[in-house]
Amino acid sequence: MSLLRTRKGRRLAVVLLGLMGLGSATGLALMAFSDTLVFFVTPGDMVENPPPAGRSLRLGGLVENGSVVRDRRDGKPVARFRVTDGRAAVDVEFAGILPDLFREGQGVVSLGTLRPDGSFLASEVLAKHDETYMPKEVAEALKKSGQWKPETGQAPPAGTWNTLSPRKSGG
Amino acid sequence: MTHLPYVAASYALALVVGAAFAVDAWLRVRRAARRLEAIDPRRNREPRG
Amino acid sequence: MSPASGRSLHRFANPGRFLRISGRVLPFLAVPALVLTLGGLAWGLFVAPADYQQGDAMRIIYIHVPAAWLASGGYLGLAICALLSFVWRHPLADLAAVEIGPVGAAFTALCLATGSLWGKPMWGAWWVWDARLTSVLVLFFLYLGHIALVRAFDEPERGYRAGAILALIGVVNLPIIKFSVDWWNTLHQPSTITVTGAPSMHVDMLWPLLVCVLGFSLGFAAVVTARLRAAVMERRIRGLLLAQAQGS
Repeated sequence: MSLLRTRKGRRLAVVLLGLMGLGSATGLALMAFSDTLVFFVTPGDMVENPPPAGRSLRLGGLVENGSVVRDRRDGKPVARFRVTDGRAAVDVEFAGILPDLFREGQGVVSLGTLRPDGSFLASEVLAKHDETYMPKEVAEALKKSGQWKPETGQAPPAGTWNTLSPRKSGG
Repeated sequence: MTHLPYVAASYALALVVGAAFAVDAWLRVRRAARRLEAIDPRRNREPRG
Repeated sequence: MSPASGRSLHRFANPGRFLRISGRVLPFLAVPALVLTLGGLAWGLFVAPADYQQGDAMRIIYIHVPAAWLASGGYLGLAICALLSFVWRHPLADLAAVEIGPVGAAFTALCLATGSLWGKPMWGAWWVWDARLTSVLVLFFLYLGHIALVRAFDEPERGYRAGAILALIGVVNLPIIKFSVDWWNTLHQPSTITVTGAPSMHVDMLWPLLVCVLGFSLGFAAVVTARLRAAVMERRIRGLLLAQAQGS
């Protein structure tokens, strides 16, 4: 092979082989540890593979519309809501202050344990937002025109509302 | 403006980091150029960079 | 690689030529960088609309995304220099790798810090160990490792070789960062701007973001070019002093 005839060629071959080996080793390792690399499990995952009782884990999904009940116990705020991923839904109870972005139809990740009755007791709730950014007026216009279905919670596909020229005044 | 402290801190950090690197690079080039001019025997032959 | 292309690569290794060319190019990097960065940041802060959900906290994106882009892009530049240094022993690439390291590390730190400042009010946490955040932290440590390694040897050449190997090994982290939000459940949201689809960001926010990305990128290039000029001159100074010491 002519590549190996010069010292430069040999060094290039070493780099290419090394990167190939390293890349495949990393790929295999990541595939093997895929289950532990997820930050949270969804309600559907939890129904398929129920976690051992008492083990703390993170549950992520969307807050089901109309499921949030805010309450007070011993002077502290307590919230109950259902988290869904479209396949299954889990009741979550959380005592504490919810993040600003927490709302129905929004993504949420809760750290806690699964109780024997199948509900989830959260010790920490984080809000997860999506990758959609738009001004308030545009969001309202989309909801008014019916393009944004409130029951799905998710914004419509970007191609349907985003144009690449600046908005006329008033939007 | 909502969440003003977080936004202000981010912008301040960006400006400080950017300015620090720009000033440092400028000073380093100036110092090296002066030093080189003082000792470079070829300085009259080759245009300075 | 044919000998001819190897020679043409080394044309740029001539320090005198590099100083001449880079001195002419530098103002055309630095001035637009300053104008676009300051203009883009002001546009994002004062003119662009607030987000329908996140309000003004979303304006952190105008720093966070350019910094994140340069954290990865700078590392790619470092790795390319490492390849030129390791395979072709290109003397300018050795110095470029040394000079890119601290700048890339600073942008990675800026990305992590602004991400934290954005995460606290929106997610409710300064930091989480999800795949995106963790892989960017690994990138930061790779930069720090490179900075330390290239300076760890008395003989600079050995530092360049060791640094080049570390930089090339770290390249596997770049696709992990990019695709972490698609491969695994993360708290971090997926990419807004993709190659395939329309960006899920309103144009009134997208334009200032693109201006910031361009301004930050030119600024990165300008700072690295200036540092590289200084490094080339410093190497020449060392060489001259050494020659004088031996001559006398």
